[in-house]
Amino acid sequence: MRTFAFARADSVERAVERRQGEPASAFVAGGTTLLDLVKLDVMRPSRVIDINALPLKSVERLHDDRLRIGALVTNTDLAYHPDVLADHPLLSQAILAGASTQVRNMATTGGNLMQRTRCPYFRDPTAACNKREPGSGCDARDGFNRMHAVLGGSDQCVAVHPSDMCVALAAIGATLTLQGPNGEREIDVADFHRLPGATPHLEHDLDDELIVAVTLAPPLKPLGTAYVKRRDRAAYEFALASAGAMLSLDEDLIGEARLALGGVATKPWRCHEAEALLAGKRAEIAAFEAAADVALADAEPLSHNAFKIPLARQAIVRALRDAARVAREDNA
Amino acid sequence: MQETPEHPPEATVSVHLRLNGIPVTIEVSPNAILLDVLREQLGLTGTKKGCDHGQCGACTVHLDGRAINACLRLAVMCEGQAITTIEGLANEGLAAGDALHPVQQAFLDHDAFQCGYCSPGQIMSAVALLEDRRVAGDIGTVREAMSGNLCRCGAYQNILAAIQDARLRLHGQEGGDDA
Amino acid sequence: MSATPEHHVVGRRTPRVDGEAKLTGHADYTVDHRLVGMLHGYPVPASIAHGRLEALSLDAARAMPGVVDILHHGHFPDLHRSPNSMRDGDAVSEVRLPFEDNRIHYHGQYVALVVAETFEQARAAAFRVAPRYRQEPGAMPGLAASDAEGSEAGEYTRGEPELAFGLAPVILDETYTMAAESHVPLEPHATLAEWREQDQRLVVHESTQGVFYQRNALARIFDLPEERVEVISHYIGSGFGNKLFMWPHAVATAAAARMLGRPVRTVLPRQQDMMTTGNRPASRQRLRLGAELDGTLVSIQHDSLTETSMVDHYVDACGGVTTSAYACDNVATRQRILPVHHGTPCPMRAPGEVSGLFALESAIDELAVALDMDPLALRLKNYADQDPQRGLPWSSKHLDRCLEGAAERFGWAARDPRIASMVDGDEIIGQGMASATWFAGRQPCAARVTLLADGTVVAACGTQDIGTGTYTIVAQTVAELTGVPIERVEVQLGETSLPAGPLSGGSMNTASTLPAVAAATRDALAALKAVATGPGGDFAGLAPESLGVESGALVAEGRQASFAEILAHRRLADVTGEGNAAPGDERREYSFRSFGAHFVEVRWDPGISRLRVARVVSSIDVGRAINPVAARNQVEGAIVMGIGMGLLEGLDYDPRDARLVNANVSDYRIPVHADMPEIDVELLDYPDYRFNELGARGIGEIGLTGVAPAIANAVYHATGKRLRDLPITVEKLLASDEAPTGL
Repeated sequence: MRTFAFARADSVERAVERRQGEPASAFVAGGTTLLDLVKLDVMRPSRVIDINALPLKSVERLHDDRLRIGALVTNTDLAYHPDVLADHPLLSQAILAGASTQVRNMATTGGNLMQRTRCPYFRDPTAACNKREPGSGCDARDGFNRMHAVLGGSDQCVAVHPSDMCVALAAIGATLTLQGPNGEREIDVADFHRLPGATPHLEHDLDDELIVAVTLAPPLKPLGTAYVKRRDRAAYEFALASAGAMLSLDEDLIGEARLALGGVATKPWRCHEAEALLAGKRAEIAAFEAAADVALADAEPLSHNAFKIPLARQAIVRALRDAARVAREDNA
Repeated sequence: MQETPEHPPEATVSVHLRLNGIPVTIEVSPNAILLDVLREQLGLTGTKKGCDHGQCGACTVHLDGRAINACLRLAVMCEGQAITTIEGLANEGLAAGDALHPVQQAFLDHDAFQCGYCSPGQIMSAVALLEDRRVAGDIGTVREAMSGNLCRCGAYQNILAAIQDARLRLHGQEGGDDA
Repeated sequence: MSATPEHHVVGRRTPRVDGEAKLTGHADYTVDHRLVGMLHGYPVPASIAHGRLEALSLDAARAMPGVVDILHHGHFPDLHRSPNSMRDGDAVSEVRLPFEDNRIHYHGQYVALVVAETFEQARAAAFRVAPRYRQEPGAMPGLAASDAEGSEAGEYTRGEPELAFGLAPVILDETYTMAAESHVPLEPHATLAEWREQDQRLVVHESTQGVFYQRNALARIFDLPEERVEVISHYIGSGFGNKLFMWPHAVATAAAARMLGRPVRTVLPRQQDMMTTGNRPASRQRLRLGAELDGTLVSIQHDSLTETSMVDHYVDACGGVTTSAYACDNVATRQRILPVHHGTPCPMRAPGEVSGLFALESAIDELAVALDMDPLALRLKNYADQDPQRGLPWSSKHLDRCLEGAAERFGWAARDPRIASMVDGDEIIGQGMASATWFAGRQPCAARVTLLADGTVVAACGTQDIGTGTYTIVAQTVAELTGVPIERVEVQLGETSLPAGPLSGGSMNTASTLPAVAAATRDALAALKAVATGPGGDFAGLAPESLGVESGALVAEGRQASFAEILAHRRLADVTGEGNAAPGDERREYSFRSFGAHFVEVRWDPGISRLRVARVVSSIDVGRAINPVAARNQVEGAIVMGIGMGLLEGLDYDPRDARLVNANVSDYRIPVHADMPEIDVELLDYPDYRFNELGARGIGEIGLTGVAPAIANAVYHATGKRLRDLPITVEKLLASDEAPTGL
């Protein structure tokens, strides 16, 4: 494991200042991604800035009733937060479907947004990977790619974004607050993660900035949610395909639907067209299947992952079905 | 916590911990991992290294009462924090005593181990689980919550029995129904 | 069946005597040992699987802080290869010495060993070692990627299997495949080597299932007399076969310690552990069965192909189980091996037979479907009352009781055999079953038992406890024979300074070790009786054989004297007994095997293609269980491992260049707690005194055999899909659209 300089930041401004102009600097919060990858010699920071002393550890309800989550709120605390459970059960469900107790205790909201892919070629510094080393090629496209993306990939990269939490954020809708050298700005979570395109090494819309908060969109009402995660093991595994669904129901008609996918795409994957198709439809399997088909219309399989398309289709249909059931109970 | 000047890579940093109830100051490199410091520097070898990447849970310790993977934490990040290892679970101090925590006793009574290598981590996770009242006590929840601790010997059935027995000993209540 | 009377320790549920040490963190595993001045080794793994190391640039790594030396092909002592003999006890897992030449035979093969003052420094420098390779085309990623037939590695024939197959009214001809598996012991392989210059001794701590094998192999390799090599392994973080015989990291570490004159410890990082310390090789097995319409098997032909490496000839004999599994007159097994660019395979829990039984017990299930017979009835129909291979009676076989008892506890009679007929909400219930079996063997063993003046007893044997409970059953045996409470029995294992003990492998440890311990105990008691009846003794003048043993005391004529008193009165610190045991003539008269049955319930949710094992009910016939607590734990754990084999586990090699892409415990999926089903294990208790005086066979491996086929058979019942390739992952369930049959 390479050596690095270490500093602790006591304010957001100082943290950003320390990072400025030092692209090889890295913030550390939970450390579950950074230290994992430093040990593999995949990330090579020259300086690590510990941000755990920053006052970003609370979940607040804003005057407009939205929830604002500090970037350092741990995954566990977020999943069990009473306001999150009340307003956004999907977020809680998605977080608890991911990782392990220990990792959730360490990992933070901001860190989860910055999670790196689990592509084995990315994680092996001796393999070709455009994300890790631009221009080196992609060993995954023609290699062993069972876990890779069927949506949002490019010739350069087909690595999956591994987060469950981000799937829920994509479905719920959220605004990230970023602090940079020139002050604060806000960005929609949908715009935060980039598609790989020709520059898979550029994963986020970040410019010497630190994520300080995530503000969730107001919840749908009445609300039904479901997070269906398919994986090989029953726990502690990244998704082969996952679907997060939110529905509001008016009698048996869908008011508004939200749908996002994990495990199948290069970024947390919001399915706007499918959502549009569902609005106003009767909440029944045929409508869910039609939505799933739309959501996966552009899916392109690789040599080992064609199964992800039917599996994602099933996850979508089941998530929508279960969300509708919950919404119905909510109505009743 | 005071902002500190930057520590260069080759420097050592003083870190103040409450380790198994005892205040200690350690000198570590910026890149020293908590697990390696516990094992190699402090001689607390009860905390095990199974994968070094947060994938097996053998290194589980308590950081301010929460179960974490010591392999994914820099020692310097623990300034001012309380760390409990398997050695300090039943007794305060830096050397393991002979007393058993009720969870350790339950593991012994239920033969909830074979080779024993994952056991310290299993026990630390189980204790934190039983202390975290947000986590439901039903079998399905416990199984998920304990899934960050791999046991290749496959003693899960006895581990589950030990945890649910310890729950009764500690809290005097039944876990929920099988979920 | 024999009940265990109150005063007996053997056969009683006994908490492990090493439990407190393990549960408090006291237990000293190899990785926990540190020595003054100790250096840390970190190997550099090859990043290609097939080719040549052309250059090794070390300047950057040498300049790193703390680096003491870097061993490699150009900087390594001349050593001997181990003769690799099982008979002489110097078998090794990989015969090739580390850095022997510049050829690269598998991904992860060591090209250097960095030695530094700290672990961090060694790891950091290892990443700065810059090898240059010439990759060669034609890397073999595994047998699944090839049609090659490999080379012959053994065969067996009785009767006329081809002819009988041709005449049989019902036949089955199917091929079964399995991915390579990794053992993944939670404690990685580790070596701490110390070269003691003053007495020219090599002292090695190793996480090993066989301290004596490693000692002998190191002695041959370093050209030292055996008595100048010591191997220690007090606690082993499990092994499952890949710690039976030494791997190259130990040789490299020992060489470094001798070169540098300082102790060196190498703990393999998990990735390298999975690349370089063996695997259960992938297999392709063709099963041809022929049967009469009533289910009588008339022909079994079992052709197996398993992988070996480019540097060794490892044979995972799948057909070994088929020769005696069923009463069938016409049987042939043929074994072939195919070299691939992987690290050398090695035995993994029930090697060969667990793979063989996947194929055989799947095929039997398929035959039952073809015959429209209950698979349980088909197995009973072809029950082998004696060993059909050797023509000898079984020493003790109660497979029928296993099958019938487990079926009853499972509720097999209520099973609706029609496919997908048992529905519960979103899930379809599938139920399947299979037989389990594993050979029963023994190895020679020596032991020493010392009765001390403080009333305690020390039992010593150079075998190991790999988590199976050897410490405890040795203590039980001594406590049983002496009447000394088990708390006052100290057991010493895992050192070559102790009397030579067996490997912890092949489920042979209990049956090998305990007779020797019992003999040593009796020898110690005889010595004590001699002391007691000698001049000045508590029973002076009595005949030694007139003395009885009760509760840590000798008794005669209504008097008793404790061991401690007897020794004290003769001013003796202790008396010692030695014991030896070895397989005898029993093999000429009987065949020895253990048996069992697994009944599995899976839940299949076709709406999301989710398959899980919900329930396993097993009955196991292993003779007498010395410690039923630990024995049951072995079987339960094996069932969990079987779920891994059935549904989860497989090493993934890049199809282009044979690089191992999932050498970590996230991408290589072993079962987690949430994968565990309800498990109900019954241990039959029919002591096998023809095998040894304790009546125990062995229990480490049998629990794994038969689990995977029982799962696959249950999957068929739930889905109508006959999956003949392990693991049964979701893509196979989605892809296989073979029409349901047997409806």
